[in-house]
Amino acid sequence: MVIRSLAIAGLLTLSLASPAGAQGALNMLCAPAADWCEGIATSFQRETGINVAMARKSSGEILAQLRAEAQNPRTDVWFGGSTETHITAAEGKLLQAYTSPNMAALHTWAKRSHTQSDGQCVGVSSGAIGITYNRELMARRNLPLPASWLDLLRPEYRGEIQLPNPNSSGTAYTIIAGLIQLWDEERAFDYLRRLHANVNAYTRSGAAPMQAVARGETAIAPSFNMETASMRQAGFPIEIAYPEEGTSYEVACMSIVRGARNPAQARRFYDWYLTPAAMDIGPSVNQWHVPAHPGAAPDPRIPDLSTIRLVDYDFAAFGNSATRRRILERWDREIGSLPR
Amino acid sequence: MTGPETGAPNTGAAVRLEGIAKRYGAVTAVKPLDLTILGGTLVTLLGPSGCGKTTLLRLIAGLERPSAGRVFIAGQDVTRRSAGERNVSMVFQSYALFPHMDVLANVAYGLVSSGLAKPAAHATAEAALEMVGLKGFGRRLTSELSGGQQQRVAVARALVLEPDVLLFDEPLSNLDARLRRSMREEIRALQQRLGLTVVYVTHDQGEALAVSDRIVVMRDGEIAQAGTPEELYMQPNSVFVATFMGEANHVRGTIERTQDAQAIVTLDCLRMTLPHRGLPTGAVDIVVRPEAIRISGPGGDGLAARVERATYMGSHTEYHLATAVGGLFALAPERLHRRAPGDAVTVTFDTDGVVLVRP
Amino acid sequence: MAAGSSLFFWLVAAIGGIALPWHMQQAGLGKGSVGALGASNPEAASALWQAVGHGRFWFWPVLASLLPALLGAWPLKDRALRSRFLIAGGALGLAAIALQGMAVGIRGWSWIWLTTLFGELGDRQFGIGIGGAMAVAGFLVLLTDGLALRGLFKGDRFVAGAVGLLVASITVFTFWPVLTVLAQMLIPLGELGVAASLAERLLDRKIWGLACLEFRVNCGVFWNTSLLAISTATLATALGLAFALIVTRSGFPAKRWLRLLTVLPIITPPFVIGLGLILIFGRSGVFNRLVEALFGLELGRWIYGYNGVLLAQVFSFTPTAFLVLIGVVEGISPAMEEASSTLRASPMRTFRAVSLPLMLPGLANAWLVVFIESLADFGNPIVLGGAFGVLSTEIFFAVIGAQQDFGRAAVLAQIMLAMALAAFLIQRRVIGRGSYVSLTGKGDGGLATPLPKPVGRAAYGIAIPWACLTILVYVMAIVGAFVKVWGRDWTPTLDHFRRAFALEWTPEGVILFAGGAWHSLGTTVALATIAAPITAAIGLTAAWLLQRQSFAGRTALEFALMLTFAVPGTVIGVAYILTYNVPPLEITGTAIILIACFVFRNLPVGVRSGVAAMSQLDRSLDEAAAMLGASTFRTLSTVVLPLLKPALVTALVYAFVRAMTTVSAVIFLVSAEYEMATVFIINRVINGDYGLAIAYSAVLIVLMMAAIGLIQLLVGRRNLGRRSGPIALTVAGRA
Repeated sequence: MVIRSLAIAGLLTLSLASPAGAQGALNMLCAPAADWCEGIATSFQRETGINVAMARKSSGEILAQLRAEAQNPRTDVWFGGSTETHITAAEGKLLQAYTSPNMAALHTWAKRSHTQSDGQCVGVSSGAIGITYNRELMARRNLPLPASWLDLLRPEYRGEIQLPNPNSSGTAYTIIAGLIQLWDEERAFDYLRRLHANVNAYTRSGAAPMQAVARGETAIAPSFNMETASMRQAGFPIEIAYPEEGTSYEVACMSIVRGARNPAQARRFYDWYLTPAAMDIGPSVNQWHVPAHPGAAPDPRIPDLSTIRLVDYDFAAFGNSATRRRILERWDREIGSLPR
Repeated sequence: MTGPETGAPNTGAAVRLEGIAKRYGAVTAVKPLDLTILGGTLVTLLGPSGCGKTTLLRLIAGLERPSAGRVFIAGQDVTRRSAGERNVSMVFQSYALFPHMDVLANVAYGLVSSGLAKPAAHATAEAALEMVGLKGFGRRLTSELSGGQQQRVAVARALVLEPDVLLFDEPLSNLDARLRRSMREEIRALQQRLGLTVVYVTHDQGEALAVSDRIVVMRDGEIAQAGTPEELYMQPNSVFVATFMGEANHVRGTIERTQDAQAIVTLDCLRMTLPHRGLPTGAVDIVVRPEAIRISGPGGDGLAARVERATYMGSHTEYHLATAVGGLFALAPERLHRRAPGDAVTVTFDTDGVVLVRP
Repeated sequence: MAAGSSLFFWLVAAIGGIALPWHMQQAGLGKGSVGALGASNPEAASALWQAVGHGRFWFWPVLASLLPALLGAWPLKDRALRSRFLIAGGALGLAAIALQGMAVGIRGWSWIWLTTLFGELGDRQFGIGIGGAMAVAGFLVLLTDGLALRGLFKGDRFVAGAVGLLVASITVFTFWPVLTVLAQMLIPLGELGVAASLAERLLDRKIWGLACLEFRVNCGVFWNTSLLAISTATLATALGLAFALIVTRSGFPAKRWLRLLTVLPIITPPFVIGLGLILIFGRSGVFNRLVEALFGLELGRWIYGYNGVLLAQVFSFTPTAFLVLIGVVEGISPAMEEASSTLRASPMRTFRAVSLPLMLPGLANAWLVVFIESLADFGNPIVLGGAFGVLSTEIFFAVIGAQQDFGRAAVLAQIMLAMALAAFLIQRRVIGRGSYVSLTGKGDGGLATPLPKPVGRAAYGIAIPWACLTILVYVMAIVGAFVKVWGRDWTPTLDHFRRAFALEWTPEGVILFAGGAWHSLGTTVALATIAAPITAAIGLTAAWLLQRQSFAGRTALEFALMLTFAVPGTVIGVAYILTYNVPPLEITGTAIILIACFVFRNLPVGVRSGVAAMSQLDRSLDEAAAMLGASTFRTLSTVVLPLLKPALVTALVYAFVRAMTTVSAVIFLVSAEYEMATVFIINRVINGDYGLAIAYSAVLIVLMMAAIGLIQLLVGRRNLGRRSGPIALTVAGRA
């Protein structure tokens, strides 16, 4: 009978469904590039024998998933993604606090993420916003090279700059929040309004403008330096300059999910990643984030944060969701609705 | 399982319908009616399209559920049983032969369905094919057969299950005229030989007269009249039945008086004595069969008439006549001395071809 | 059949309730299920043992329902009595299971009023597993058996059971999640009340704004979506018609290739077309550089936004329009055109006055199908949209973007749903009014009239350049898989394939799947292989029910089935993760959620192809089988199914291909263990690793072609012994 066979098929699939939760498993959601995530998962698995199930998702997707799973978490560890999103998750009671014994050796900025999130996440890597440009396109069009935020207002750049849309992109939010902390909110929005004349598009994705620069689709775009380093390694004519006025930066965090089903394994991973050896995995797969551990192997391709002028970024204040909503609404009202 | 030939004539009611009715939403296809079909007889459901005859057949088959009433087959209440659970078989108008199976698989299908092993089923199916004159055709695809052969396969497929009742839904409508005549005789012969109970739907009165033990004439979801072919032809109880069962002239006359079983009827200047069939005095409808009209020379004793059209048909001649009571259609056996249009004639009736019906 | 007993299904329900673990087991089945009676861990115990040994009183009603059901399942004489017991037992059982599942969740009582009434529960439960599923299935069939015994569904147990399962599964896998996501609209925004939040979300200027009419700013996303869908539908229909006319009405020599070309985009993973277009028409693309070199014109970034998405969508959906229209054009009886030409009409007049009006319903249908496709499209806008937002991407970013506002996503989803439904209803109207196309094959003698010269020229003029462009886009895209850095370093290399599909041998001689793509590829193929036959089976059964059976609520069922198609993938994805992450049905992160998503998203395709094929099968064939004593199931398997082979192939192929290429829904549903190929690809695209993405896509295309061949081989052909014209499967997917 069809009903019977359908029923049996259904039951078979049901039995398929049980997640393989053998002893010593770890479920990880991972925000950075897939190669890096895979490298981390495999190394940890090789060293500890703990079976890692890893999925790569953007930090927005991870936050959405953690929210949806809140009543019944299936994730143990969340690796990567900006401190602000981790703080947002912490506000939503999605994370649990943990202080690793290995934390003491980290850079100050990494430990500061820990403090600002009430111990619920720890910085693992960092990157700063720079102004990227396409070397060849700039030469072809005889454009001067940008060196500061104010340079971007030059009339020659009309239609050559691409920015992400803060409604959908965390990178865009980081840029705007940085400008606000560099000057003040009024001046930052005034700047964005004037910059608007040179902007050809506000993209949905934060990495899209930088990729457009790499492929010569647009000349200039502010973007994170570590992603730019990867593109340059791949052979694209992309260069980066750090604005003289100062720039904002991001500290990528790592956290343990509240109600994690494998808390012991999660803590083990947490401790493991805060060692120099684990931090060397990134450069081995063409990922050039600044590691949180001073003991990690140095490489000229890793940007040196100490030579870049950074704003004093307050992750707690700008990670607050009310602040975020207010800034986004203002952006929508004052920038998003400007005529092209 | 015994061979189909041994099926003894059934007796008693093979099919009984009690207050059966079928509605589709607001449309009533069959109004509540009772019908009994005796075992071993061939009963025809006859009527114009849309009269409910096919619906009635499908109600017996179990392909439709009645809105009211009950169906008994071989004495058992089968109202709630599905088609497969009733011991009935059906020959479809389109034959509905399975195009992806060969002839033998088609005929054996029902046997295999009821759990018979394939070899046994095939042997029985071969026998059934032989019975319908298709021995050796078993391995052909149904699409390789002629229309008449397909028809026989459909009959064999239905017969092989030895059903209590065999149902035919306009089985001959897809065949040409000549084949239709021979097939209907074959069906009748088979039914008689095997003593089958058959319910047969058709809209062709000639076919109905030729094959039936009894005919049920239907109209607008009701039984207009049921009876033997002769009864229906000779004693229709309405103009509708009369005109449906062969050609009939319809004129209006008056019953002057009744006397015992007879009535004195006047029709213009014509006076006739006919069975009154319970009709009161006064206006009455008179049905006159065309072959009961006698035509003689002008000035005779009868209705004066004029020939409007004469059509030579080979075996006989058809006349359209104009009379004081209206136009008449007559069949005359004359083949040589035909009358021409415009001729004045006198018309009289053979009373055995004239019937009074309720107006 | 109705006379048979229902003991088997009673046993299913009973075993599910008594012997097997009720909840889903973390470690899978096996050792845990044996000890379900008497298990010390309540989560591993059967419902009976949880009630007896662990004081989980909420299982008593479920277990008690088995009693009346048993009385009804016993093969007694009295049908009326049996049916009453069966209906009572089945309905009570289902209600009890649903109620306890809803009421007792992972944090005790799920509803606050239960807590206020009875106090804290002090216990909790997770989602149902094998035991619960068996109990649900068992009770459901007992209920439908009871209904059949009462004479409903013509007393056919099989039909009753099939309808019951269909209704239950649509309810669980479509209506429930969609209602869940729509309920998110009511989540308050900050300090705003429910009504104010809803109003704020609904009346958002970003949705309805029309400022673009006055200034050069972006209009509301509603207008963007409408504009895009309308223009895509119009262009794709025109192109599809041109192709259909060329293929059916002209002596074009390479028809077969043209047909292949129009089918290719269907088996192409999303993004490939978008990426190919960027490479050709992007600012640094071949075309722009050429124009700049030749004419000194700078075309700039025109490909990003409306233009590019439109172009990509027309590429993607012209095949859909073509497949709908080829059936329509082929279906027009040449006799009509011949009649027209004998009445001294010129070829042009014949085409204008006869052929075109006859095609009108078909054209309208194609237009609406493409409209719905465009509405639901996610892959093209995300690659090429730039600042141009449409509903599908807007929903995506509302959930995963910086806003994280499920409520806004729900409002947008609601608008999208309303648009899709409107198009869907209009489409039903159009088709319902009757197409003039005859599929009977009667009186179709005569030759197709050749196209009038101007029409032929126009068709060629449109179709041939388009075909060339399609080839170009594909070549450009596929080349990307074989060069170092696409658009930059054209050194040939197989590196991308090596990275994705490397195989290594360990010293012991065991194959090691070292490539990064093996895992997702394996999962994708496995899940598509599981989902396709289920989709086809349910779809064809549903088609048969709709086409051949009449029962109360048939139209409603048909509508509900087709409705699942109108729900865009993004909405389904969000809805599934919200609905199935919590008990009673806790399948997030499992393979089931992906399979369910594939099955219920693609079900309408199976239904459509089944209905189309079934309407060409003489109804008396089934009736003949029924009269010959074949059970309904036997009728289906020996008569209907063999004659439906072409529809079966269509359903299987579509279900398989869609499962392999879908993105919008699964992007929310993949987990670490079950990652899908398309999600893997989009992650590479986002990361700028186009080479690997394209290489993977190329492998998927080859794989799908092989699978289509295999399906055709396995299903086989109908043997009718006559010239069997191609059954016009004018489904073309998403209608």
